Amino acid sequence: MNLFRRKASSEQSQKLKEAYFTASQGQLIRSRFKRNKASMVAAFVLTAMILMGFFAEFLSPYSPDIAGRDKAYENGPPQIPKFWDENGFSARPFLYTLERERSIKTNFRWVITENREKRRYVKMFVRDWEYSYIDIDWNLPGEMFDIKWKALTTDLHLFGMDEGGLHLFGTDASGKDIYSRTLHAINTSLAVGTLGVLISFVLALVIGGVAGYFGGWIDSILQMITDAIRTVPPIPLFMALAAFMPDSWSSETRFFFIASILGLIGWPTLARRIRTHLLTERSQEYVLAAQLCGASSGHVIRRHLLPSFTSYIIVDLMITFPYVVRSETALSFIGLGLTDPVNSLGSLMQNVSKADVLLNYQWYFIPVLFFIAFVLAFVFVGDGLRDAADPYSNSKR
Amino acid sequence: MLRFLQFTLTRAVLSLFTLLTVSLIVFSLMELVPGNCAERYLAFKNTQGSQISIDDIQAEERRLGLDKPFIQRWGGWISNVFLRGEFGDSCILRLDINQLLSDKFWISLGISLAALLVAYAIAVPVGIYSATTRSALANNSLRFVSYLGLALPNFLLALIIMLISTVLFGDSLTGLFSSEYRDAPWSMDKFLDFLSRAWLPIFILGWSATAFALQTVRALMLDEIGKLYVTAASARGVSGSKLLWRYPARHAMGPVINSLGFDLNRIFNELPVVALILTLTEAGALLIESLARSNDQQLAGAIIFLLTASIVFVNFITDIMLALMDPRIRKGMIGS
Repeated sequence: MNLFRRKASSEQSQKLKEAYFTASQGQLIRSRFKRNKASMVAAFVLTAMILMGFFAEFLSPYSPDIAGRDKAYENGPPQIPKFWDENGFSARPFLYTLERERSIKTNFRWVITENREKRRYVKMFVRDWEYSYIDIDWNLPGEMFDIKWKALTTDLHLFGMDEGGLHLFGTDASGKDIYSRTLHAINTSLAVGTLGVLISFVLALVIGGVAGYFGGWIDSILQMITDAIRTVPPIPLFMALAAFMPDSWSSETRFFFIASILGLIGWPTLARRIRTHLLTERSQEYVLAAQLCGASSGHVIRRHLLPSFTSYIIVDLMITFPYVVRSETALSFIGLGLTDPVNSLGSLMQNVSKADVLLNYQWYFIPVLFFIAFVLAFVFVGDGLRDAADPYSNSKR
Repeated sequence: MLRFLQFTLTRAVLSLFTLLTVSLIVFSLMELVPGNCAERYLAFKNTQGSQISIDDIQAEERRLGLDKPFIQRWGGWISNVFLRGEFGDSCILRLDINQLLSDKFWISLGISLAALLVAYAIAVPVGIYSATTRSALANNSLRFVSYLGLALPNFLLALIIMLISTVLFGDSLTGLFSSEYRDAPWSMDKFLDFLSRAWLPIFILGWSATAFALQTVRALMLDEIGKLYVTAASARGVSGSKLLWRYPARHAMGPVINSLGFDLNRIFNELPVVALILTLTEAGALLIESLARSNDQQLAGAIIFLLTASIVFVNFITDIMLALMDPRIRKGMIGS
């Protein structure tokens, strides 16, 4: 019996070994990544936030712009639905009806009182304001680039109220729902980050690729330029460029401009890494073999060099992403980036910088927590991926 | 010795070349800003009630030399900067930029360098400790703190500290000088007053720099500790902190010194935003002022150029320091 078990276990380990040696690079990276608990948690948080950003309209009960404001509940604290109170249980979560009053008794100020007898129930899948999943309405400078396309229009929302408001994170000074704004802000920050990273990635790939593959004097000149750009502190430069924006530009144009600036300045670090990868890979035997077989430069780059470091590139992009988001936030925070009608995490944080916010309206800080969680999740996932993609990380520790 | 001088000279020439490239970039960016100095000056005159015509603008352009080709103007600007150290006049403020900037620039540079110093004074010992300790608690909490340093933007930290101090002490801790010293000439009292207020921006700027430096030091130490020469040294009976400082730490410091320039770059990144929140009147805040509020391209260009120049200078110094410290690098670079 004992012998049999030992045999089985050795067979199993044999299988494991076999699986290990025949695993593709992607499988190895995945299994190493799964072993890193912190990164796995971060990956879940990140996925949840990306989904939240993507389905922002569906998840938010109110429109994040001025159309969705709640005039009767300005600067209102968060409302948490309850399941029970002294009047008994309810299977559906509920809120109390708020009554606004202004009279001689209240010294002619609006005073909001709760009527605990009148419950309002939270409803699922309500139909409210209309939105589209694909809603492209670019109004870029120049007639040719105006693109309009709307599809998948619906008015379904996950939850809402029949009458009165439900503001999970409270409301801001003009009565806009902070919960809805936060979700849309995540969406905007993701979009800015993606566009910025994409632009800098393409630039880095071309410039770093040319420098690394051809080497020699092309490499030296490109390196000098890259290094010169790398020494300029980017945020002051962002500020110089962002100041170009005329006030008359629409928020979409501003958005594209900001994202492109972030991309145009962010490429040197990435380009340098790609160049270094290429320089080391270029002198490997398998490249020489391919070249001796008569393969063209394009073929060698596409079929041999690029696959050899796609995982590194993905990791680099993941690491760059939070910095792009942070730069956007810093720019918006000082009022040079995206401004208030657009919901970005930076423009939401701008509201926090007033002194009476800390004293009176602490719920303005909720988007800040989301921002920190967002950046932390990205950093953790990026780090976990970097460790996982490094084939020597197992032997090191 | 001669070889070393030669090496220093090559490095200096390379740094100069970098500066030239940067100045070209900055200058072309400043050219891209819509409108030029002449137009802006006359637009200002227009608001004062005097009539202006196209001829006036062209005459003003000729006076300022704006009708010359781009390369010639860049050449003029750069030779003024390099040979005489002059940046010309600010477009909007109508003031000599040197006068406007000199004190402010040195103060911001001092604060940034102090932040860098604080960051490394914390990061080097703590990083070495965290690389050698086996305590999971210490490691995880250090890791968390340094990640938080990366995620929590400095401006947020500044804001939180400021708001808390407003609530607790009734003093918002903003500004660099108390009101009685603001315009006074430099003296011991003024300096002490400055120090009593400068710790906050230094701490805030150093915060994320510390987080970065901590990660770098820890990773480098972990790499070095696993190497054979450390094992060999401990086999010879060297142990404890003597082992750490004499062997792996010395090797790990090379890349750390190398990254000083880029850490300074990162601190300059945070400077304008932090300066804005703490209402410091140093170069960073002046940059925002000159760009966002008034579109003053001359001033903004001068500030960006000065910031970059100090980074290039730090890079130059660290290169020389590395060559002095590490015989391997000296050999590799000088080839002796």
